[in-house]
Amino acid sequence: MSVTTAALSLLTLASATGAQPVNATAAAMKAFRDRADAYLAVHKKVAGELPPLKETDDPQKIADRETLLGESIAKARASARPGEIFGEIAPRVTSLVRADLARRSRADRKALFAEMPAHVPPLTVNAVYPAAVPLITFPPSLLQSLPPLPEGLEYRFYGHHVILRDVKANIVADILRNVIPT
Amino acid sequence: MRIRRVAELLALCATIGAAAAAPAGQVQGPSQPDATRFAVIGDTGTGDKYQDDVARVLLKSRETFPFTFVIMMGDNLYGSERPQDYVRKFEEPYKPLLDAKVDFYATLGNHDDPNQRLYKPFNMNGERYYTFTKGPIRFFVLDSNYMDLAQLSWLEGELKKSTEQWKMAYFHHPMYSSGGRHGSEVDLRDELEPLFLKYGMDVVFAGHEHFYERIRPQKGIHYFTCGGGAKLREGDVVRSPLTAAAFDTDRSFMLAEVSAETFRFQTISRLGKKVDEGTFALGPEPKRPSGVPSSNGQ
Repeated sequence: MSVTTAALSLLTLASATGAQPVNATAAAMKAFRDRADAYLAVHKKVAGELPPLKETDDPQKIADRETLLGESIAKARASARPGEIFGEIAPRVTSLVRADLARRSRADRKALFAEMPAHVPPLTVNAVYPAAVPLITFPPSLLQSLPPLPEGLEYRFYGHHVILRDVKANIVADILRNVIPT
Repeated sequence: MRIRRVAELLALCATIGAAAAAPAGQVQGPSQPDATRFAVIGDTGTGDKYQDDVARVLLKSRETFPFTFVIMMGDNLYGSERPQDYVRKFEEPYKPLLDAKVDFYATLGNHDDPNQRLYKPFNMNGERYYTFTKGPIRFFVLDSNYMDLAQLSWLEGELKKSTEQWKMAYFHHPMYSSGGRHGSEVDLRDELEPLFLKYGMDVVFAGHEHFYERIRPQKGIHYFTCGGGAKLREGDVVRSPLTAAAFDTDRSFMLAEVSAETFRFQTISRLGKKVDEGTFALGPEPKRPSGVPSSNGQ
């Protein structure tokens, strides 16, 4: 059942029982946004406990800060599991990504993933994004069709997966596996 | 206004003519004493011999063509980004320029950790996308890896406020390209081109493709791909109606000189030979299709 069909069913049910109608899609989107905001609240709390980092000539300070921030967030979210932030919008994200890719020509798809290695290291929640894997462009049109993210998180392709990447900590906030067909 | 359009067309013809003549020779010096001069490098961060070679020629060219700053098209650091990588892939190759107080202004490529924005010598003000002004030019430096609504909205706001004579943008992925491996980033074009046309963008630089290409002006906007600052994808230019000039047999960089009314450029190979050059005039504001044939892209 698609998300849209599910939403219509819920509306119908609500109408039949006299309960206040609920737009299931909107509710799912709001719940997703709440979870993303909650993630960033953890990020912000952890970052606030670390020494501030401004522009610097010393790349060691940038690397140290990024590592420390990532490790601290991972520690604070030690029990986080894949799919925890995506939650019930996972099927919607999957279908939007697949529909976008299906619309593209074979050449376009090939160009999009040209720099994604055929085999990427395994990745899970809280892991550091590997330096050896390029951050391939996320198509702007697809980006605009996906549920918006708060600043600090971004969608990225990784192998066949879609991840939520914490931009400043360079770690994986969540992962949605096998979204991209082989 | 009409005179300016005619001037632009005449200058454009001169540009195409110059390119067709396949210029040879060395770096030429400034043509106007008060112009703003800069260099363009892209896809540089390998830390290998080729990056060093190009950096040496870039430095040498400054003796003849004294540019004061360098714009970087992204992929500033390939692979690991440990502190020693910043040294080997940026600080060492460009040390003489850095010592001479030549400023570098970087954009993020798909191989770059966005935290490079915090590295002061890249002059990104801690931001993924930013803007700065030099002489008559307002530069808009974008993060084409992730063109979200926040960035588009920021760009429109900045374009709206811009009063400089020249508007130039640069970012990693080319909106128009004849590259066999990547080609034009059509998605990106769909988002950016309407804003560029609405607010009169004049020149756009990109990298990503490891070669040099000058695109025939598209809807009045001049596009350059300059991504051969260290890596090379030899023979990757599939010449198309887009291509005004291209160089894909060795690494290269660009030198530009901008006065109130004209833009002059030279493209220099790793061996110090000039492989393209031209001049064009400031276009009408805001941009409109100016009679220059526009291809459908790729």
